[in-house]
Amino acid sequence: MSNSVLVRAVEVAQHYGKVVALEQASCQVSAGDRIALLGSSGSGKSTLLHLLGGLNLPSSGTVDWPALGPVQGLRPGKVAFVFQAQSLLAPLSALENAALPLLLLGTEPQRALAQANALLERLGLGNVMQQLPEELSGGQAQRVAVARALVTGPQLILADEPTGQLDSVNARRLMDVLIAECDRIGAALVVATHDPQVATRLSEARLGQTQLGQVWQMARGVLVPDEVAA
Amino acid sequence: MTRSWLLGLLRQRPLRIWGTALGVALTVAFLASLGAFITAGAGSMTRRATASVAVDWQVLLAQGASPASAEQAIRAATPVTAVLPVGYADVSSFRSAGGGTVQTTGAGKVLGLPDGYLKAFPAELRALVGSTSGALLSQQTAANLHARVGDQITVARIGLPPAQVRVDGIVDLPAADSLFQAVGAPKGIAPQAPPDNVLLLPRAQWQALFGPQQATRPDTVREQLHVKLAAALPGDPSAAYLSVTHLANNVEVRAAGSAAVGDNLAASLNGAREDALYARTLFLFLGLPGVLLAAALTVSVAAASGGQRRQEMALLRLRGALPLTLARLAVAESMLVGGLGVLFGCGLAVLVARPLLGGEVTTVWLLGAALAGLLLAATATLLPGLQDGTVTDARRTVGRGTTPLWQRLYLDLLLLLIAGLSYWRSAASGYQLVLAPEGVAQASVQYEAFLAPLALWLGSGLLAMRLLGLLLRPRPLGRALRPVGPLSLVVAAALSRQRGLLAQGALLVALSVAFAVSTAVFNATYNDQARTDAYLTNGSDVNVSGSTAMPAGDRLPVLLKVPGVTGGQALMHRFAYVGGDLQDVFGVNAGGIAGVTRLSNSYFSNLTAQQALSKLQARPDALFVSQETVNDYQLRLGDPVRLRLQWADHQYHVVPFTFVGVVREFPTAPKDSFLIANAEYLAVQTGIPAREVALLQVGGQAAGVAARARALTSDLAGVQVTDLAAVRVRVASSLTAVNVAGLSRLELGFAVLLLTTATGLVLALGLAERRKQFTVLAALGATGKQLGTFLNAEALIVAGLGGLLGAWIGVAVSWALVRILQGVFDPPPDLLVLPWVYLGVLLLAALASTLLAVSTARRASGRQMSEVLRSA
Repeated sequence: MSNSVLVRAVEVAQHYGKVVALEQASCQVSAGDRIALLGSSGSGKSTLLHLLGGLNLPSSGTVDWPALGPVQGLRPGKVAFVFQAQSLLAPLSALENAALPLLLLGTEPQRALAQANALLERLGLGNVMQQLPEELSGGQAQRVAVARALVTGPQLILADEPTGQLDSVNARRLMDVLIAECDRIGAALVVATHDPQVATRLSEARLGQTQLGQVWQMARGVLVPDEVAA
Repeated sequence: MTRSWLLGLLRQRPLRIWGTALGVALTVAFLASLGAFITAGAGSMTRRATASVAVDWQVLLAQGASPASAEQAIRAATPVTAVLPVGYADVSSFRSAGGGTVQTTGAGKVLGLPDGYLKAFPAELRALVGSTSGALLSQQTAANLHARVGDQITVARIGLPPAQVRVDGIVDLPAADSLFQAVGAPKGIAPQAPPDNVLLLPRAQWQALFGPQQATRPDTVREQLHVKLAAALPGDPSAAYLSVTHLANNVEVRAAGSAAVGDNLAASLNGAREDALYARTLFLFLGLPGVLLAAALTVSVAAASGGQRRQEMALLRLRGALPLTLARLAVAESMLVGGLGVLFGCGLAVLVARPLLGGEVTTVWLLGAALAGLLLAATATLLPGLQDGTVTDARRTVGRGTTPLWQRLYLDLLLLLIAGLSYWRSAASGYQLVLAPEGVAQASVQYEAFLAPLALWLGSGLLAMRLLGLLLRPRPLGRALRPVGPLSLVVAAALSRQRGLLAQGALLVALSVAFAVSTAVFNATYNDQARTDAYLTNGSDVNVSGSTAMPAGDRLPVLLKVPGVTGGQALMHRFAYVGGDLQDVFGVNAGGIAGVTRLSNSYFSNLTAQQALSKLQARPDALFVSQETVNDYQLRLGDPVRLRLQWADHQYHVVPFTFVGVVREFPTAPKDSFLIANAEYLAVQTGIPAREVALLQVGGQAAGVAARARALTSDLAGVQVTDLAAVRVRVASSLTAVNVAGLSRLELGFAVLLLTTATGLVLALGLAERRKQFTVLAALGATGKQLGTFLNAEALIVAGLGGLLGAWIGVAVSWALVRILQGVFDPPPDLLVLPWVYLGVLLLAALASTLLAVSTARRASGRQMSEVLRSA
């Protein structure tokens, strides 16, 4: 069973000086999970997400990745992020941005570009592949960021407010793409959001008869235990 | 709000604030220090020019004029320290008898010096042997007569019976040229050479001998008043020159035709004002590019964070800040940066002015530099901050960009063309930059010549930027980065799309390197030439000069054993008559002379030094003569030349030579006419093997060897021992000895600072501006090595390519500077001298600041990831 647990956090806390960003949170994400981490701004969602992805080390408590191995080998192959703000590399085209994780893994450039190309086509971005990020709309840029997260076929995708800067139509379209692609590659998905609609969308996620969706509530740096249990 | 904003900037944007302030500080400090250089330089030039004059004025009295009334006129015109009468009498010859032979010289002069003359004018004569009072014979006359202290010589007075004089001492007359000048001669007349034979007598003895001659032949006896002025002169050489000239005119007017002033002080100041103009020119050529570079660096540092600044302003505008508020905040940042820069810049200038320049920074220069610093801060920070724009506009750091206007107009090639034309024009005018005609009050500088190195500097910089733009295209860059592995694709793409920014950074580094290299190479070449100049005077590290009767060269075997001596050569120094003209003749060992002295190719006409020595070796009777002699006697190569030299029988006999070439200058030789021949041939032909001079090459401290050599030759009467360091101080002009040394230290120091700032700070700011990119890369999973690939590639382009191009530009500019500033050099250099140690220090400093910038960016990419990733 432990093999299906992708990441496990035990009583993790994160302090920045006197500021407490996260207090004593315990949770775990298993293969195939669809989790909405719901909370208002400053509630500690991003902090928890970054801890789960191994971006930061906790001030106290432990995080481990039973099914994924040591933290050094998580990114970009096994865990991928979709960030809240504009995170595409400005001097690279949409195609190059999407292929970047594969190139970081050492994939031969032509193969990496072909894989990224195929993915962008599937996400409806075939006509903007050679555009620079500053030439893309907000929705297009976020879909390129999703493509970049998916391109290596990771087992866990952590998305931090991926729809935060999009209008409702684009937000819904992005979530549809994200969930569909996670279903296709069988990746677990954790989305930090302040938007109840996004949370609901994830909570209703199911694969066949299997209920996958959960909503974790966060408030003032505290992960509400009941919701985690649910 | 303004206070909070500024405190926030200091806390959150320290690199941007302190980096721009550093650029302002460097500009202010450099400008104020250059001001100190100009002020201190002019003052010291005047002091040196006045200190080097043996007699300020030589006032020639008209026949029958009263010395008392002339002295009264002088004292009425200006305060004086001393006014003493000196008599000048012409004689037909001097004669001495000894050792069974009689020596007779040509015509000469006998001077009558009053009591206290040596005390009032100590630089006029230098005691060699015997007393400094009584009858003193000049060194050359003593050599001609074979006279020693205590000998009797006969003075052939004109129109009177000869008189006997007992020699009390032998002296050297260092200022003979001015002592025997033709006072009152019209301007433009070529200066006359001092007489070969001179006797100095106490005034009473002189009056007893020549009072009767004055009565019978008044045209052969003249009186002068020698004057030491006490008037305080202005600090600037030009003003001092005008002041002294006006005083001399005043004396001549007061004397109403009974006296003419030989103004030695004005002549010396005339040279100094030329030096002052050269100093100003050097300031323009060497200093100003440094100021411009520091200013460009400041603008570039501010521009590196321009995107960040515009983004902040756009966000404030978005949140409802009024234009007035934005302007207030932008002005506040500009004032903060300017204030900090001016404060530190002025402090730095005051700190470095004393040790580096030997002067103080004047208030006027400090205020001027401070004002320039505030203007620079405003230009660098205010304009980008106040530009309108949306947040999206402000975020834009990369674009597909169009070709800049200067590239489309081929401004780089145009500037290089201007440089070439300006250089050609300077070359056509014989590189005469400073024109200070004697007797003309105003001197002038051909400032247009400045265009050549400036246009070369800018044009090469822009051409370098164009070439960088071509090199940084995706295809060539991708090929160059192929060894990096799969990541080369995105690294090449990223660098290529930022090639405008990278080329700007590389250009700044290139210009900094070019400034540092050109300054260092120019200074090294200049110092080397100053050393060559000293070698020209002293011959070698230590010079031991005797006479034919007391030959120091014969002591060479003993002198070679002195610890520290690494080599030596004996040199003959005799005199020979070329027609009726007595000239110095130097007998050299052509096979060994080059080992102990420096022979520049410019010493010989149409020949290298090596070729000239080969010609000497090829035939024993080979003779090099000066151009003046070639002109006077219409000599052609291969012509026989018959010189009269003194033989062992003390008589002058003809020795045949063959004219093989023209010599312009030669170590230890005088500036005017002289001859170079084979020492062995001279020894055989004259029957006198004596080598009068020993030249010693020293491995360590020459002063110690000189002291030991002095002790070893103390038994040789009249022997003089001089070392190179002492000679360098004596021969250097005011320009070479004081000011350029200070300017060099100042510039070399600032060049290192500018280069490290350019490479480190510009790179660091550029990387900091794109910190989010590197943080995203780290968050995506890039390893330290992969991050390093991005950072190192950028550093390699900015610092590496920029540095390489800068080195080439620097060498080209220094070559142009050396050619254009030929007037500063005496003699002109054959080759540029590369100061490898300083260049090594420069390289290390640039490398260290580059590594620091890259490692800081690399560390920063892994820190505070959450905050950076959440930022807009």
